[in-house]
Amino acid sequence: MSVRKRMSGLIVDYLVALPLGCVVALVWANTLDESYYRFAHAAAFAVNDIGMVFFFALITKEVAEATIRGGALHPWRRAAMPVAAAVGGVAVSVAFYLAFVHYIGEYMLEDGWVVACAVDIPGSYVIARMIFGRHPAVPFLLLLAISADAIGLACVAVLQPIGQPHSMLGLLLMAGAIVGAFVLRRSATKNFWWYLLGPGVLSWWGLYIAGVHPALALVPIVPFFPHGLRDEGLFEEPAPKAHDTLTLFERWWRLPVEVILFFFGLVNAGVPLHGLEAGSWGLPVAALGRPIGIVAAVGIASLAGLHLPARVGWRHVVVVGAIASIGLIFALFFATAVMAPGTLLLELRLGALLTVFGGVFAVIAARILCVGRFAR
Amino acid sequence: MSRASKRAHVARILVPWLLLTVCVWPLAAQQLVLPTARDSVKFAAIGDNGTGDRPQYEIAELMAQAHERFPFDRVIMLGDNIYGGQGPSDLVKKFSQPYKALLDAGVKFFASIGNHDDPANVKYPLWNMGGQRYYTFATKNVRFFALDSNRVDQRELAWLESALKDAQEDWKICYFHHPLYSDGGRHGSSVDVRVLFEPLFIKYGVNVVFSGHDHIYERITPQKGIYYFVEGASGELRKGNTRPSAMTAKFFDQDQSFMLVEIDGNTLSFQATSRTGAVVDSGTVKRQGQP
Repeated sequence: MSVRKRMSGLIVDYLVALPLGCVVALVWANTLDESYYRFAHAAAFAVNDIGMVFFFALITKEVAEATIRGGALHPWRRAAMPVAAAVGGVAVSVAFYLAFVHYIGEYMLEDGWVVACAVDIPGSYVIARMIFGRHPAVPFLLLLAISADAIGLACVAVLQPIGQPHSMLGLLLMAGAIVGAFVLRRSATKNFWWYLLGPGVLSWWGLYIAGVHPALALVPIVPFFPHGLRDEGLFEEPAPKAHDTLTLFERWWRLPVEVILFFFGLVNAGVPLHGLEAGSWGLPVAALGRPIGIVAAVGIASLAGLHLPARVGWRHVVVVGAIASIGLIFALFFATAVMAPGTLLLELRLGALLTVFGGVFAVIAARILCVGRFAR
Repeated sequence: MSRASKRAHVARILVPWLLLTVCVWPLAAQQLVLPTARDSVKFAAIGDNGTGDRPQYEIAELMAQAHERFPFDRVIMLGDNIYGGQGPSDLVKKFSQPYKALLDAGVKFFASIGNHDDPANVKYPLWNMGGQRYYTFATKNVRFFALDSNRVDQRELAWLESALKDAQEDWKICYFHHPLYSDGGRHGSSVDVRVLFEPLFIKYGVNVVFSGHDHIYERITPQKGIYYFVEGASGELRKGNTRPSAMTAKFFDQDQSFMLVEIDGNTLSFQATSRTGAVVDSGTVKRQGQP
């Protein structure tokens, strides 16, 4: 079976649409800067706050499916070690980030520490598949990435509200959305549009007025979608005969999300390639701390009695840590969520783009440690 | 008279003269070309100053000397007011100590914050920010708007629009850290901030904008009818870092500098003074729309 057929449409689109948007943005921002920023500021809300709802919905769909039989998160206790690794990775990354921006005296950037939590789920999956193939290190990495991003998203939601939030009203609307999704599920509603237009819209509104990034609106709703009996695997293409709501949702939204990913890259990746402060290196420095934190946390968790998956050894953990240093799309998103437009945001964005070199770092580590396709 | 006593006599005359020359030289050397009208608005502008190093102290000394002849009552600070450590001892070493003479003379400092400033320092009482990232104040026919260009959220833009709309004064002066126009080789123009601020500046008739960030002095040719100055060399300096372009009216990047500004009626006079006391740029601009 070809790689194109094995990997889900989301991953294939991710490999094409997002980088294309990023490249166009970089060229545009460094040639016709004023028109670029005018466009980027005007389009930011539509792309980041509305369009990205569906990207996160598709990511949530993968996670929701992973909790059913045959999925990487079934049963939940399998996730204990990756969660511990994620906590370690996030803690050391954030510490490295804060130490660095403090060292260079860019105190204003301290508010961007949440961005150091980000792990690019699709990007790290692609690199992991390239290095490990179908090795158990891949689901380990994905669970780790999902956990790290969940920590980051929780921090964004709770610690760094946007604007003047009306938490109580937002909470009530969110509760209404979740109850609505539950009722739809209990009434065996299979058409995903009912979930989107009812609870989805309510959830978006609730998050928006609560000061939480509304791109997460479908994250609590998608798990209520009726799903198949078995998971094909994280980011695996669904079976052609599958007609459950989650699969139909993915099939319908794949093309729009491809367009959204292109525009996400276009709107958020345009940064000047000269003239920014040393703060741009904050996120790459944080990424260097990621493998250290992951290895340390796995060591501590092992002492506490948790076990690594079968066939995953210390060398694999080091390479997984290196892969998890890629922040890209999630780092760009977190940066937009916590920092208003201005030079600081540009520094964070450039740093997020630079973390893509974590992929190279991972390949070198795999080669040195002789793991995956580099095993002798 | 013996040769020795002749020498002693000459020395008695020369030494006081030499001492007098050495002591008075900096004061005499500092040029002042502003009108110094009696009821005019007078202020100074400094940017990227808070190094705590010798050049910052020397600029501060020159400012204190200038104050004796040009009694400005306020200093606008264009950000990066403190570099490195931001604790109480740093605030003394890098702010209250160098500018002690001015502070003692009752001069008030009004800061905007730069990327190297600790956001908590908006509460530092000697910076008169009232705990806010952006604020406004007025004197006579001039209203100042201190803005935060590090992160420009919708609340700041809404506040700015409302404050500009409500301003009744003849002159509207905005200042913040990142320059909308600059020929500094290290940073240059902050175009991402320009597309947010500039439409409001144009719509509500902002007259003059001061910024720092690039460690040079530069006067920009009017852009869309607005006068722009970059003064980011009042402590830091990036020698020879200007890349002059069509928008450069004048620049100075060979030494530290500060600005003195006077507004009298519809006329704004300015001068930029280097660390040697020399005036490296000066001029007069008329308020837009006035003959």
